[in-house]
Amino acid sequence: MGNHDWIWGFTGGLLIGLAGAVFLLMNGRIMGASGIIGGLIDRTGWSNWAERVAFLVGLIAVPPLLVPLYRVVDTHITSNWAVIVIGGLLVGLGTRWANGCTSGHGVCGISRLSLRGIVATVFYIVAGGLTLALLRHVLGVI
Amino acid sequence: MQRLLFALLAGGLFGAGLTVSGMIDTTKVQGWLDVFGDWDPTLAFVMGGAILPMAVAWRIAARRQKTFLDLDLPDLPSDDVTPELITGSVLFGIGWALVGLCPGPALASISFGGWGGGLFLLAMLAGMLFAPGLRAQIFGRLTQTTPRSKMEIRPLTPTYAVSPQIDPADLAAVKAAGYTTIIDNRPDGEIPSHLHTAVMKAAAEELGLAFVANPVIPGGLTMENVRIQSQTIADAPGPVFAYCASGNRCSVVWALVHAGTRSTDDLIRVPSKYGYNLEPLRGQIDALAADAAGGKD
Repeated sequence: MGNHDWIWGFTGGLLIGLAGAVFLLMNGRIMGASGIIGGLIDRTGWSNWAERVAFLVGLIAVPPLLVPLYRVVDTHITSNWAVIVIGGLLVGLGTRWANGCTSGHGVCGISRLSLRGIVATVFYIVAGGLTLALLRHVLGVI
Repeated sequence: MQRLLFALLAGGLFGAGLTVSGMIDTTKVQGWLDVFGDWDPTLAFVMGGAILPMAVAWRIAARRQKTFLDLDLPDLPSDDVTPELITGSVLFGIGWALVGLCPGPALASISFGGWGGGLFLLAMLAGMLFAPGLRAQIFGRLTQTTPRSKMEIRPLTPTYAVSPQIDPADLAAVKAAGYTTIIDNRPDGEIPSHLHTAVMKAAAEELGLAFVANPVIPGGLTMENVRIQSQTIADAPGPVFAYCASGNRCSVVWALVHAGTRSTDDLIRVPSKYGYNLEPLRGQIDALAADAAGGKD
């Protein structure tokens, strides 16, 4: 499948953008994964909990239906539990402080040329690139 | 009910997109971030593909007052680049690179991600749970030490400016900028008591500024609002400064006051300089202009 990865990537991207378009033009909400789940966790989003839960049900239930159909999916996640815990904590903390992640800032923010969205995206990509460069190629840890 | 169905649909499409694109595969995400290794460009195609329909959606939203389900469209988030935004994004980027999962794929892959996926999700939720408390501790202090007043005077004409909410301490600067009359377009119900009309009026009058309260209820603008604004502008001895939450309502009332005396295109274009979108009001401005023209015959 290697050479066609970009076609699958682009097609999947269109679906992600379509999801954001539906959420905006129907529900009047900006689609951000970290905000939808985070609002349920810290109680700031309890006033519209049902809408958030419905979104999460769709998000969690659809991927396993698609997996056997046409792509063999393995997340290939690391088995180093310490890396997983540190990574998870940083992702949870960081996305809530920044008030957005790849979907909120990256997709919804950049598509309306929001300064915040662009700045956030540049910073998390650069931070991610430097982290991999340092930990994989300099220290050889991950 | 419809609202929940569309939320389910959006979530489902999002999950499908993450699966089809390969973004639930941590090696593809790390491969994209790994510029010095075996670089994998897929993520750039995913972002590009996602931004296209979303950009169209924003353009459609800009022309509407409500969604297709007749719900309110979201208030656009502010464009302030804050220390929280930068710090949060850097921490997120580090965590994202360590494991190769961001919040969407972490949720989407939970049914087949194994113990590693479950542990990552738990840690992420814990991070989210602690985020508000830690933010208050770390950035609470930062925010207090930065200067509070960020007042911005946004002139629509040389004699009429709008502004987001100001506080009493800002009035001296408004006066210094040459304004003689303040219009308060924000109902007291929306704001803390130290910004209420009575407080603002007392502070303005102390400085020798005229002060007129003309509260506009969001979505409930009346012709009486337009009449009061028009009268105040006409009677003012000098330039007028109007404020509400964002300055949007002050711009809307201004456009309606001048319907017929300036072109509708102009009335929409001028506030758009500051990001106020009056396009949905085009029909209303045209109708008022036609009324005004009819009245003169």
